[in-house]
Amino acid sequence: MVDVLKSLEFDYVCANPGSSFRGLHESLVNYGGNSRPELITCCHEESSVAMAHGYAKIEGKPLLVMAHGTVGLQHASMAIYNAYADRVPVYILLGNIQDATWRRGDVEWAHSVQDAASMVRDYIKWDDNPVSLAHFAESAVRAYKAALTPPYEPVVIVADAVLQEEPISEQDRRSARIPRLAIPTPPAGDSGAVLEAARLLVNAEHPLIICGRSARTPAGIDLVVELAETLQAPVQDRHFRMNFPTRHPLAGGSIGEADVILALEVGDLWMATHAQTPVNRLGMDSKPLTKAGAKLISIFSGDLYGKSNYQDFGRYCEIDLSIAADAEATLPALIEACKRLLTTGRRQLLKQRGGMLADAAKRRRAADLELAAAGWDASPISTARVTLELWNQIKHEDWSLVSETFPFFSGWPLRLWDMTKAYHYIGGHGAYGIGYGAPAAVGAALANRRHGRLTVNIQCDGDLNYAPAVLWTAAHHRIPILNIMHNNRAYHQELMFLTDMAARANRGIDTARIGTGIDDPNIDYATLAKAYGVFSIGPISDPKELAPAIKRAIEVVKRGEPALVDVITQPR
Amino acid sequence: MHRFITPLLLPLLMLVPGLAGSEDRAGDPQAGQVRFMRVGCYECHGTVGQGGAGMRLVPLPLPWIGFQIYVRRPGGQMPAYSDKVLGDADLADIYAYLKSIPEGPRAKDIALIEDAADK
Repeated sequence: MVDVLKSLEFDYVCANPGSSFRGLHESLVNYGGNSRPELITCCHEESSVAMAHGYAKIEGKPLLVMAHGTVGLQHASMAIYNAYADRVPVYILLGNIQDATWRRGDVEWAHSVQDAASMVRDYIKWDDNPVSLAHFAESAVRAYKAALTPPYEPVVIVADAVLQEEPISEQDRRSARIPRLAIPTPPAGDSGAVLEAARLLVNAEHPLIICGRSARTPAGIDLVVELAETLQAPVQDRHFRMNFPTRHPLAGGSIGEADVILALEVGDLWMATHAQTPVNRLGMDSKPLTKAGAKLISIFSGDLYGKSNYQDFGRYCEIDLSIAADAEATLPALIEACKRLLTTGRRQLLKQRGGMLADAAKRRRAADLELAAAGWDASPISTARVTLELWNQIKHEDWSLVSETFPFFSGWPLRLWDMTKAYHYIGGHGAYGIGYGAPAAVGAALANRRHGRLTVNIQCDGDLNYAPAVLWTAAHHRIPILNIMHNNRAYHQELMFLTDMAARANRGIDTARIGTGIDDPNIDYATLAKAYGVFSIGPISDPKELAPAIKRAIEVVKRGEPALVDVITQPR
Repeated sequence: MHRFITPLLLPLLMLVPGLAGSEDRAGDPQAGQVRFMRVGCYECHGTVGQGGAGMRLVPLPLPWIGFQIYVRRPGGQMPAYSDKVLGDADLADIYAYLKSIPEGPRAKDIALIEDAADK
């Protein structure tokens, strides 16, 4: 089993120890030398999977997770759903004792299950329950292949305890082999459909490109840039990945003005193109944000794969040209088709359009900078000020922001920082399962460590409280990461919803903090971090104290350790 | 869920005859600050009206009557606060609080913002 796992070149295996995979655990450490994969000790299975989620978005490949097939998987399930909705490969091995006669005592009965993967089968791509070592080898390789075939998704293999713990028979030893892995090439769009898309885009007066998870690899950013510059078309990045440089003059655009919209791996295209009745109004109505006659083109690998029970696929969107394919794999052909169709006269017109879009981008940036000044000296500290104090100290480093900042931090880093590289931003949860942030950031930092990058995590307070012991994991494994607390002392999104509901019901608008506030007593995150062995400073509520605190924390991170600065912040 | 006041509605309110030149209603800024926090205005607009999920309120672009109309019947994603849950006297205090908040430095006066503009 270890030889098979080593053939898949996992760098790490995240696990909270469990008796149902003790055999494999021991073999990985002693037979496998605790190297490739190296054990990472996690304090919660949700953290194990979320670490793998963050790691994969930096490194582009899965990290191995081990868990009990019962209680461990129950802990891990929300994080698996997040990875599923975020189209991220996570490779999960579940321990189990399939044969009832091998179960020793009540713990092993309680920790055994007939069909371990069943509880998460709605949000994984593939699973198997091998009954022999040869079966394990084939299924383990098949699972890896499935996870890394777009759209990427989590997979599960059940590792039976008997296979883990009993000696390999002579017959098995002679016949054992490790199947060869070949990752499928991602599917590119049909050539006729690509040509039609190019015609529509080249002839459009106001084309718009919307990016969801379009940059599947770092090369995807360059391809989106090349397409946008070829067409002189604006790009709206929905920031599920780093798809387009934040300060590119073509960043922006308006859905309402567009006559042709190209959506690249946008799973929520209906939501991107429609407005709905706000939550605080009665009833539900919707209207398109697009103008009449606007053409929608979609290139989406999600069309090739889907499940029904969990509804993350969103509302059905009427599309004029729907290309079921991987966007990144399709972009080279689309770019070439557009270039072939562009005449000299058309290029001249596009150049003028590009100039106007660049001017609009400049105006938007100036407005953002002016807005960042509002509440500059306020306490609690404004999220814009935290963003710029951080930027001032990292802008000359090779940095990586590994936390979602929209809407929780008003998207300020996306608005103010110069993001160009794939690891400058990795998007968010996927399924909005809170508790993702801290462990995903540590997982991303684990991947960044090898590259010597300065990892920055803007950490929401509510999120950290789900499984804060991931701070210990970072300290124990010397994972350098700068955590800046966004400590607004509330589950703030829910607080706003409660205010909405009370105002809508015309009563009790001053009760919204009941059940949503995280105060009385205030949580001391600096002390919490210290308890887990992490360098920490705070709480800081005076904006003048922020810069020196960040400086000290960065010095610690540069020594290869985690650090946390607790900042008392404005709500958003 | 992202919440924004429809930006167009505010200038439109300014065009309503009699609004632009109407007198501001007297209120207590200190009581208004307490009320601003208690009824949740700060949740979207920030504790000093700097903006966030909702729009920036300092400097406040509306006279009292326009402010009152907007709070009672807002556009966009702002909830409507009726006089049953937020009376005119309390609302006037909030208005006075917002009017009392100094505007603060501009972007051009802040070195970090100036630096960020270039790098």
